Amino acid sequence: MAKENPLHISWHDTNFIPFLNATNVLDYFSDKSNSFYDRTCNNELVKMQRQSMDNLKNMIGTEYILLHVKEPILYVVRKQHRHSPEETTPLTDYYILAGRVYQAPDLGNVFNSRLLSTVHHLQQAFDEANSFARYHPQKGYSWDFSSTKAVTEEKKEVKKEKPKEEPSSYFQRQRVDILLGELLRKFPVPQIATEQNKPDEDKNSTSNKIDTNKNDTTKVTIKQEPVDEVVSNNNSTATVPNVQIKQEPPEKKMKMG
Amino acid sequence: MAPSSYKKYEKISFLGEGQFAMVYKARNIETDDIVAVKKIKLGSKEEARDGINRTALREIKLLQELSHENVIGLLDVFGHKSNVSLVFEFIDTDLEIIIKDQKIVLTPGNIKSYLIQTLKGLEYLHRSWIMHRDLKPNNLLVNSAGILKVGDFGLAKFYGSPSRINTHQVVTRWYRAPELLFGARHYATGVDIWAVGCILAELLLRVPFLPGDSDLNQLDRIFSVFGTPSEELWPGVKLLPDYIQFKPYPAIPLKEIFTACSDDLIEVADKMFSLYPMKRCTATEALKMPYFSNRPPPTEGSKLPMPVKQSEEEPSGKPNLKRKLLDQISDSIPGKKRLQF
Repeated sequence: MAKENPLHISWHDTNFIPFLNATNVLDYFSDKSNSFYDRTCNNELVKMQRQSMDNLKNMIGTEYILLHVKEPILYVVRKQHRHSPEETTPLTDYYILAGRVYQAPDLGNVFNSRLLSTVHHLQQAFDEANSFARYHPQKGYSWDFSSTKAVTEEKKEVKKEKPKEEPSSYFQRQRVDILLGELLRKFPVPQIATEQNKPDEDKNSTSNKIDTNKNDTTKVTIKQEPVDEVVSNNNSTATVPNVQIKQEPPEKKMKMG
Repeated sequence: MAPSSYKKYEKISFLGEGQFAMVYKARNIETDDIVAVKKIKLGSKEEARDGINRTALREIKLLQELSHENVIGLLDVFGHKSNVSLVFEFIDTDLEIIIKDQKIVLTPGNIKSYLIQTLKGLEYLHRSWIMHRDLKPNNLLVNSAGILKVGDFGLAKFYGSPSRINTHQVVTRWYRAPELLFGARHYATGVDIWAVGCILAELLLRVPFLPGDSDLNQLDRIFSVFGTPSEELWPGVKLLPDYIQFKPYPAIPLKEIFTACSDDLIEVADKMFSLYPMKRCTATEALKMPYFSNRPPPTEGSKLPMPVKQSEEEPSGKPNLKRKLLDQISDSIPGKKRLQF
């Protein structure tokens, strides 16, 4: 079995979800069908041997801990390597949102995904603009938008089939932007050269946002399908299951507020 | 062996009592070595008339010929009055104590180390044409250097002679192979391998794997895990003396029982737990399986866990043969002076 990109999958057990709380969330996570759970970890070893979980601290190796709880909606589980009772190295974080388990992407993956979608949208824009350019020996270059209608209608059908397949929601992008901004403040980029690149990228991503916003409102539906394609081809973070759930936080937020 | 007598040993403490013997910790006065002295009980008058107790005879007969790092060493035998005493190297603890110690979590490396040492000792015994026939955690002794030694040869016997009939009433029930429970009289080293499988399972689960309360219940437990054998899976099973039809159970994948186990170890367990004795692996075959050369490596002897000496185990606990109980117990035992070797 080819290993699926862990960032593209999610796991849940609907029977368990209503009973989920901070005391049993690790048990939920350690279900055998959860592919995020490594059953050779120390937690399972201790459980199999029917010993007290207090022993975990004195063991060396991979273990899972409950890192963060925001009842009743969010739990963060961390996979870490324990070197000694005091010393651990984090390996991966997983978030359990409304009962679904996802692997949290690392910074590299987030950047990768952002850059990729930016470049992709730019490329799309150029391609599309290119398709409207006409050349006539007499008149030279000109724009011709008369064929636009046909193209949009064609693509519209496709859009109806896969309406939700956006790489991420506006809310998400906004949140991640805040996080990235904070990170940048914490770890300022030392070289000027890279600093110059940064704003560029930011601009790109903002233009990207505008782009997609336009998509929603106007005709630019053409971009929808290819976006999905490129995203999955390049193993970036955004995926179908992610998106479905990731649209939930705003709702929940509103409830809680 | 040099001529010896009871005078050579000075008793230090009482260690435990079994069906056939009392065990004491003692010191060799000449060399200052600490040893375990197993004093064979005299038994009833009828038994005494027949001469020395059979289990003692077996141990003396077999152990004198054996020498292997993972087999307990018989150092000396001496008689005093009508008693016979066997002198063994002193070993601190055994696997049963380690398994029951709630403070110990056995890592995959620890388990591999115990399993390798057990199989090495067993391979040596089987190569010497000896079946142990009473393997259980309690009989796998572990010293402070982490060396495991197969002990208690009270039921051991030479095998391989086709005309010789064996009794099937061997091996503590929980570790008894299905062919023994069906009354097989011709069996071989497979019974030891089954027992090792049960010990491995006990190391993994920290509770007895198949704790049957009767021979029938034992079979029932075995089949409820490994599936009821059919004539195809186990040719000749129906011809065994005590064969009875059990209700059909499906086999449970061992992966679902030993949840934290690596796949290579599951493979070893599967081979050891083959219901059909001919398909069960030998100790040598087992040691050649990938599990033993894969990562993680077996834990070094000195790093293997030792039970806490001053454990909270109550002195009132029933003393067992070779059970290396607390040294303090001996102080509380009345009539200490009466005991002699």
